[in-house]
Amino acid sequence: MRLWARFIGRDERHDFDDTISTKMISTTMISTKMTSTLDKLYAILRRDLLTAVRHRSGFVVALVGVFTELAAFYFLSRAIGPSFRPGGIEYFPFLLVGTGVYTFFVMSAQAFLSAVQEAQQTGTLEVLMTTSTAPAELVILSSISAFAGNLVNLLVYLFAGVAVFRASIHANFLSCVAVLIFSLAIALALGIAAATLQVAFQKGSALLWLLSSGLWFLSGAMFPIQSLPRPLELLARAVPLTYTIDGMRRALLEGQSVTAMAPTLALLAGFGMVLLPLALAGLSLSLRRARQDGTLSFY
Amino acid sequence: MDQVVFQSVRKIFRHRPALFNWLGSERGGETVALKDVSFSAARAEVLVLLGPNGSGKTTALKLISTMLLPDAGSVQVGGFDARRDAGEVRRQVGIAVAAERSFFPRLSARENLDFFAALDEVSRRERAQRIQEVLRDTGLEEQADTLVMKFSSGMYQRLGIARALVKRPSVLLLDEPTRSLDAATTAHFWATIRTLARQQTTVLLATHNFAEAAAVADRLLLLHRGELLADRPVGDEESAEALRTFYFRMTGEIDEAMGAIHRAGRAP
Repeated sequence: MRLWARFIGRDERHDFDDTISTKMISTTMISTKMTSTLDKLYAILRRDLLTAVRHRSGFVVALVGVFTELAAFYFLSRAIGPSFRPGGIEYFPFLLVGTGVYTFFVMSAQAFLSAVQEAQQTGTLEVLMTTSTAPAELVILSSISAFAGNLVNLLVYLFAGVAVFRASIHANFLSCVAVLIFSLAIALALGIAAATLQVAFQKGSALLWLLSSGLWFLSGAMFPIQSLPRPLELLARAVPLTYTIDGMRRALLEGQSVTAMAPTLALLAGFGMVLLPLALAGLSLSLRRARQDGTLSFY
Repeated sequence: MDQVVFQSVRKIFRHRPALFNWLGSERGGETVALKDVSFSAARAEVLVLLGPNGSGKTTALKLISTMLLPDAGSVQVGGFDARRDAGEVRRQVGIAVAAERSFFPRLSARENLDFFAALDEVSRRERAQRIQEVLRDTGLEEQADTLVMKFSSGMYQRLGIARALVKRPSVLLLDEPTRSLDAATTAHFWATIRTLARQQTTVLLATHNFAEAAAVADRLLLLHRGELLADRPVGDEESAEALRTFYFRMTGEIDEAMGAIHRAGRAP
């Protein structure tokens, strides 16, 4: 409740009064706030989309990158041979989903971090922090935009894997959407943690590099975590992305229903409920410290 | 009631050298940017902060805008404390900073203003009209749909002012707003400031330009090495030359300046 109150920019003491009239006023205020938040989200999405399309070569480079990566994984799976079926799944679709979801997570966090770094370099961050939008709200909306852009990349990646490289899928789309939604809070937390480190120590990219290397190794993107030595396997089971990748494989390649995947979804929700508030609290602290030290635009 | 209140404000910037400082020569220690400075600005008043580089003018504006937090003392805007009620303060304040590159380069001027206006919660209905107004007021109508990456320094500066104005703040903070502007735009801008004051906007303007101070100020604060040396009204007929004389008399910088000119062999 406190977090939500802070997000909508009001002190929680004033928000949830007992009287009917206050409730009505609160409802109107929340409705107005929601309209304003959606308007801001639209403005941020529009800014990022316009910036992306005006980098004319960016799309072409991204598209070439997708096909090169897929080709490498396709021929790797052929070289290994059809007998290697982790969890009973063909290796190429296994790689397709694992690397696609991993890239979605890491590149989204990277995109968000780059936006923060660029804002520091141009001085935009300081100005953004003087607008009427609360910093936490601004950060969440900006990261949603970064993830939306990379979601398109993920869809292109998966579509190309299926259409061009003939990966066989048996998708339950409802389960896929559920995994994605429940994982979003974790992904936001990762991006916000990188931004926090960037604001606090100007070293967000170092953290992201460290995290992305660890996740590449431990999340089961390339190989099943059961192949790891027992201590590392236990460590891998503590990594939220492991469950996102596993869940997405089961939803997209095995067509498992939402009910069958309920335990995984609950686990993902649990991770999100812990990590997102922690990341937001860290960011709030680092922004306050930067305003105290005058380091908001340091990079 | 005073619109902006600065009470015994102290701001210190601490320099923490890098871990391997023996490789370079980074300075440690601290810089005292403001030393127990107190002043206030009434509604509709144009307050000019005059002082040399490093005197604490920009720091004062950043503290009012909530970009910075004070180490001691309090800053209040419209009765709200900048530390405790930062959100309320930000709703009332518009700021244009000196080094203007703080825009999204691949958006046009209009798109940038629309973006910042959305974050400042200007309703969608009003936004287009307000943007058109501030583009006209800052002489950017013709460049409204040009990507800002193609802008000159002066155009960036005008856009910074337009951004500060689009939310119609009750307190407008301007840091060396005419530094890169040509003479005609500067004169037009000074007239805009006086119009805003008539419309009940409080303006705090940091400058080291005496002509600017004489043209717009109702009152003058003289800052020097983080200290407030003078706080006095500026008369309608007071000239830039009179302010220059006052400034050099108060700061004692005239001797340093004349000494430098003598050494260069250009003494009058």
